[in-house]
Amino acid sequence: MSFDTIIELEELERYYEMGGVTIKALDGVDMQIGRGEYVSIVGPSGSGKTTLFNMIGGLDRPTRGRVYIDGVDVSQLDAYELAWLRCRKIGYIFQTFNLIPVLTAVENVSLPTIFAGAPRDEGLERAEKLLTSVGLGERLHHKPTELSAGQQQRVAIARAMANDPAIILADEPTGNLDLNTGMEIIDILHGLNKTRGMTLIAATHDLKMIKASDRIVWLRDGKIENIERG
Amino acid sequence: MGGQGGRGRVQFTFGDALRLGYWYINRRMDRAMINMASVALGISFLSTLMMTDAFYRAFAIAGGERLSVETYQYWLMFVAIVVCVVGITNAMLIAVYERYREIGTMKCIGALDRHILLLFLVESLIQGTVGGAVGFAVGIVGALLSTGFTIGFDILLKVPATEFILLFGGSVLLSMILSVVATLYPAYRAAKLNPVEALSYEL
Repeated sequence: MSFDTIIELEELERYYEMGGVTIKALDGVDMQIGRGEYVSIVGPSGSGKTTLFNMIGGLDRPTRGRVYIDGVDVSQLDAYELAWLRCRKIGYIFQTFNLIPVLTAVENVSLPTIFAGAPRDEGLERAEKLLTSVGLGERLHHKPTELSAGQQQRVAIARAMANDPAIILADEPTGNLDLNTGMEIIDILHGLNKTRGMTLIAATHDLKMIKASDRIVWLRDGKIENIERG
Repeated sequence: MGGQGGRGRVQFTFGDALRLGYWYINRRMDRAMINMASVALGISFLSTLMMTDAFYRAFAIAGGERLSVETYQYWLMFVAIVVCVVGITNAMLIAVYERYREIGTMKCIGALDRHILLLFLVESLIQGTVGGAVGFAVGIVGALLSTGFTIGFDILLKVPATEFILLFGGSVLLSMILSVVATLYPAYRAAKLNPVEALSYEL
């Protein structure tokens, strides 16, 4: 299968200074990711997975090198444009779900639509549809604390989808879930990738997730160790 | 959406902030109550003194003795207001720490620094408005209780309505200003949070 490129990383480096020591979180990463591709990023903790995600997601700036998303050099964007990128182009899914605890499921999911400038009713309507599509149509007005871990992660997926982003970044999405719940989450993500053609990039240790992906990228000490076709 | 289309702007209006701020206050009532009580206390002190003064004036106009509020009482009021501002700053700083991850998440889904700032300020604006109104009401009761036994409770009816309206407006306005000023620093701290650090923050 071939894809046109949506993300391009060029000699990406990110160094941190910590107590006078330079830590090379990313040390020269070159990679292209195709539109609609499902890429698993695998590596021990500290290998640079999260840093890589922060770079692609425009949350952090590289020490050297470039990140292109849809041909746009992310380092050239101002704060507004970066926020817009995070809001419209990228959906984040975290290991710890990171839902806003005081808001209900539907409010959580509608939150990104507010920043995208959608009218309130439209945002809530879209949130309801998305929650229904991940099987939470009966739980629209529950708060995160009233939901199970798997349900919370499904709310988080719906939130990531709220502005119909081109890219989903999932950082250990099944890391806090039991086997079966993890499987459900993988199925949902895989389904989104296949039916909506969303580019899915997932950092994971989960063998089932790795198996489902188009490509597996092995990271070690901030470098790509190996790339495998799934 | 590539090329030029890849560059757009996020939005977050005052109305959005108001709605989110209302949600937040509504669901985290305990902390909001502390802030509102704090500002209400300072404002009630102020409106007690101002109202007492208005009562005394009305009493004098009606032919009674000319009484006046002591200067030291105004100083006490000033101290009370400073204490209330410091209290709100403290409570809001703790609120920022509690919400580290949330702030990181908000930034992750498109919030700019100024949106976070706006959100916290709007929250304190709402708290200030409610606190000011409550403080005004408490102040009138306080003024009545402290003067009514000597100059009669019917003094309430002798004060012109415009005085009430002015004092109410002034109380609420001052309360809003105090509340917002007290929140400036915490809100700034929240807005400046680095999303990467905020997301990995463990409380």
